[in-house]
Amino acid sequence: MTQTPGAGPYPTGTGGGPGPATPTPTPIAIPTRTLRLGVDVGGTFTDVVTVDLQGRVATAKVPSTPEDSSAGVIAGWRALNEHAPGVAVFAHGTTVATNALLERRGGRTALITTEGFRDIIEIGRQDRASLYDLTRHRPAPLVPRDLRFVVRERMGPAGVVVPLDRSSLALAVEAVATADVEAVAVCLLFGFLHPEHERAVGDALRERLPEVAVSLSCEVLPEFREYERMSTTVADAYLRPRLSAYLGRLAARSAEAGLPEPLVMQSSGGVADAGTAARRPARFVLSGPAGGVVGASYVADLSGFPNVLTFDMGGTSTDVAPVVAGRVQMTTEAVVAGVPLRLPMVDVHTVSAGGGSIAWVDDGGALRVGPRSAGAVPGPAGYGLGGEEPTVTDANLVLGYLPDGAELGGGLVLRRDLAERALARLGERLGLDARQAALGVVRVADTEMVRALRLISVQRGLDPRDFALVAFGGAGGLHACALAEELGSGTVLVPRAAGVLSAMGLAISEVRHDFLRPVLRTDVPDDDPEDDPGHGGDGLAAGFTELETAAAADLDGPSTQRLADLRYAGQSFELTVPGSTAEELVRAFHAEHERRYGHRIDDEPVEIVNIRLVATVPGATPDLHEPDLHEPDEPGDAVVGRRTVFTDSGPVDALVLDRTAMGRGSRVKGVAVVEFPESTCLVRPGWSGAVDDVGTLVLTRGAGKQAGTGREEPHRGARDENEEAGR
Amino acid sequence: MILDPITLSVLRSALAGIAEEMGTVLVRAAYSSNIKERRDCSAALFDAAGRMVAQAEHIPVHLGAMPESVAAVIARDPRPGDIWILNDPYTGGTHLPDITLVSPVDINGEIVGYGVTRAHHSDVGGMSPGSMPAGSRDLWQEGLIIPPVRLTDDVLALVCANSRTPRLRRGDFRAQVSANRVAQLRMTQLVARWSLATVLDGFDEVLAYAERRTREALRQLRDGVYRAATELEGDGVTDDDIPIEVAVTIDGDSARMDFTGTSPAVAGNVNCPLAVTRSACYFALRVLLPEDVPACAGTYAPLTIDAPEGSLVNARPPHAVVAGNVETSQRVADAVLAALSQVADVPAAGEGTMNNTVIGGRGWTYYETVAGGQGASSTGDGPSGVHVGMTNTLNTPIEALELEYPMRVERYELVEGSGGTGVHRGGDGIIRSIRVLEDATVNLLTDRRRHAPPGLAGGGPGAVGRNLLARFSTESAGDGAEEELPPKVARRLRAGDVVTVVTPGGGGWGGRT
Repeated sequence: MTQTPGAGPYPTGTGGGPGPATPTPTPIAIPTRTLRLGVDVGGTFTDVVTVDLQGRVATAKVPSTPEDSSAGVIAGWRALNEHAPGVAVFAHGTTVATNALLERRGGRTALITTEGFRDIIEIGRQDRASLYDLTRHRPAPLVPRDLRFVVRERMGPAGVVVPLDRSSLALAVEAVATADVEAVAVCLLFGFLHPEHERAVGDALRERLPEVAVSLSCEVLPEFREYERMSTTVADAYLRPRLSAYLGRLAARSAEAGLPEPLVMQSSGGVADAGTAARRPARFVLSGPAGGVVGASYVADLSGFPNVLTFDMGGTSTDVAPVVAGRVQMTTEAVVAGVPLRLPMVDVHTVSAGGGSIAWVDDGGALRVGPRSAGAVPGPAGYGLGGEEPTVTDANLVLGYLPDGAELGGGLVLRRDLAERALARLGERLGLDARQAALGVVRVADTEMVRALRLISVQRGLDPRDFALVAFGGAGGLHACALAEELGSGTVLVPRAAGVLSAMGLAISEVRHDFLRPVLRTDVPDDDPEDDPGHGGDGLAAGFTELETAAAADLDGPSTQRLADLRYAGQSFELTVPGSTAEELVRAFHAEHERRYGHRIDDEPVEIVNIRLVATVPGATPDLHEPDLHEPDEPGDAVVGRRTVFTDSGPVDALVLDRTAMGRGSRVKGVAVVEFPESTCLVRPGWSGAVDDVGTLVLTRGAGKQAGTGREEPHRGARDENEEAGR
Repeated sequence: MILDPITLSVLRSALAGIAEEMGTVLVRAAYSSNIKERRDCSAALFDAAGRMVAQAEHIPVHLGAMPESVAAVIARDPRPGDIWILNDPYTGGTHLPDITLVSPVDINGEIVGYGVTRAHHSDVGGMSPGSMPAGSRDLWQEGLIIPPVRLTDDVLALVCANSRTPRLRRGDFRAQVSANRVAQLRMTQLVARWSLATVLDGFDEVLAYAERRTREALRQLRDGVYRAATELEGDGVTDDDIPIEVAVTIDGDSARMDFTGTSPAVAGNVNCPLAVTRSACYFALRVLLPEDVPACAGTYAPLTIDAPEGSLVNARPPHAVVAGNVETSQRVADAVLAALSQVADVPAAGEGTMNNTVIGGRGWTYYETVAGGQGASSTGDGPSGVHVGMTNTLNTPIEALELEYPMRVERYELVEGSGGTGVHRGGDGIIRSIRVLEDATVNLLTDRRRHAPPGLAGGGPGAVGRNLLARFSTESAGDGAEEELPPKVARRLRAGDVVTVVTPGGGGWGGRT
């Protein structure tokens, strides 16, 4: 049964935080409210998707409005021409928090910490930014030294070592008051385990400065390791003024437009209400990419591919993420804009390479792509906005993968002649013509992408050959087949909504709250935990029950999953595994350790470090339906032309198909170009496929073996292996 | 050029990817925090002739040290399927805790290369827990010496039995073996994708490419001989300064670093096998190069190193060497950078020491290096509170430390104003105070306690570091008065005593305006 979580507020994030005392109203099911609206704000475009209960999808794309992106959100909604009263859920992905971190434009923030430890936020983990560039600094801490204040107190592993000194507290609070800040973070040593001093500091601040946002580490992230906890807490405080102001504006505009109160995508891949977002903004830093991974995972699963690597290639960056058995993978080790955030986040890896990445020749004579990007202005040479340097997009244009003369949004027209000129100049330095240079640019760019995809698979103990590649974003479909070949994967999926998949992910997302509690030093004998009732057992159950109580207070009838962070005694990295009892957890831990790191040590003691609870209220999971438009096997009306495209095996006369004129069962055989709204797919030689029931173009290589259903040999390239005889 | 520039780029990236993946597997699968958290390890891919074609170095001190390991193995007739192990500083190693595993990579039974991993194992026996004794006088006191031998189950059992932490060793070796396997797996795939001939051409081309990049950078420098001298503050036996001298010759697109004039090897443990000196020289060279130049044999081909045999920087057996790797390497790198500063735009001297702190008691050993100030440069202030030179390991979180050991950290802050003055200020050092809650011993291996890191272009020197001991315990009738300790020292501690390490600031850049 589909819930309608947009109807009421869902207070507080982490357990223990103070939330509004108002009871959650029971959602009332209004039959006419059947639409789920997802709006994703990107750097250039705002994407809008609605999905109804029958799985019908409507999409729109409008320019983003960077000054106040809530204007673009509403403009996007209006572009759909839907009726606001029909919207049951409005979910939103925002880069406001991300950009505030990247551009260091958060609120003016102070920090209060333990005397003697003022600079932890600056020293970090002591490592330098670059091994060999000795002039490079680490990204500046969010709180400069003159806004860091200390109180005389000290907690240790067993509790109070130095009692909280009231006069030093009064001094610190006054110093904060004079500093004229918008937010304060409080992080004291061992505050995660013994929060009494932190709470006392928080009370004093809230009393003296009621208008200032206060973030306590024991509420934001009650987890050991002081630097990461402090960094996360400081980010939380730093982002609150910006994100809450933005969400205030958005809520007002939404109400005006007759839309429900917006839900906001968290980095974890689940949405939370705007109140939580305003209060715990650090949880929303990867709001944007999370929607894409959720959308890709959802569509791939409907198409029958639970194991996929998502590949979202845009203009300046590319996001890749693994999805295993239909589950989006999570991490708590993310660093965003130089700020460690130890909060649950979709395990997405970003490389700064995209369509706009500039190709160049270095002083060793090698062809390089990126990390410099032509951005939106002047953009690729082929945009005709004055860009002179060749980009990946220019290479795709020269090779015929992108159409000459195509109109982009905002009156831009793609010009192959300009792209060719830029690539010819590059080719001169390499002794190649423009076309060879373009092939080279695409191959070098692909190599970087393959490295990223290997990283998020191999490093997690996953074999990329067992995974299908889901391509989306403007340029994803152009590169996907080549990447799959390099990875040894036999399947590429291009969802119908490839250009707006993040918004699709928002529309179908679940409501999610994460809870965490430390249980450090719980040594768990792994041979027979039942024998040792003093350890683990009872404490765990009580801890989980406490978290479940907090979850029930936050959400309306949530489903919950119990998890814990475990490690071998003395290790400094934990693995998060599901389970309720010590025995279950330890068993799951050994198995996960073996899967990820290739070995398990059964006779080694295991420690439980934290227990976690994930509470969710499911979103909608409508089946998507692709209409029948054509006789299968007949490209028919979908063919909009032919053009010569160049691949590494030479020029080919390729069919150009219009995806919007294709339907269920429509087939395509490489070499072909399929033009989607806002994205393009290149079907390389040896690839073929068809549109499936849910509208995904499923491409397979060779005999059509599909990744995920069987292993394949690594691809053997065009080069003759007998060449080695000469060596 | 045999390969077109595009194939070259693609192969270069693929080879770097293999080394990277090996390093990743090693760090992720390792058991001990020294490898897993502090990343005191490296991985590399070599060709059949023993030339390094790609390296994933996590700390610079491993930069130049692996070719000797591979050469030592090649000399012993390795066969496909072998795994070789070694740590002998005089036969392919650096210091005993750094254990190297070398695995031949074969295609159809023919050895085409080697996968190599090196990791700092936190205990390999010897006279003190942690195998970083301040007072060792010969190699045998520093731990188990492993000449290049095949790693069999029996050898593994022998090595682990000689460590105070055999379980950790076993886990870490497993991780190294897994990482070495990646080399075989990925090379097989690469050959299947490109053909053996192309991959082998790729090796040559990648080396030639890196060499071109280095030569291009050296060509930008004015020819000449540039000299610099520095000193090491004692060897743990005496506190006398030990001179280090270098003459760097730039000649067209090649360079020579000559250490004639440097002290003979000393009685204490600050001696360097040649591999350590080479790492320090490579580091200084890398500082001159654009960051994207790949790390491989070609990168260093234009460089010749002359280190007199039997000197501090090319010691012979059985000299003790454990601190050569962690302290002398810093001074060597600083000397070379000081010489290069006369001809290239490099930063002023950084703190120039790792401030090695080893505290141990009954059944526990804690090892940490403490960061300090980086030197300022023509482009800006020096970063504060960072590792400089040959290391870049992470700290142990205070909360993790206190949960693990009977110690309390009382202070961990920047020392404001400890960086040198100048148009651009040197980075600030750190003060770190630790109280022991049980009786224990402390070993400090530090430097720059008497001789400050100099400034550059008129900038002032960074503040010197200090080692302090405050006695608080009733047994020692302590009143908290602080005693100044020498740069290299071992002391017994009573419960309640506080050890404070103040690290040096970086040198400033540019005359006062």
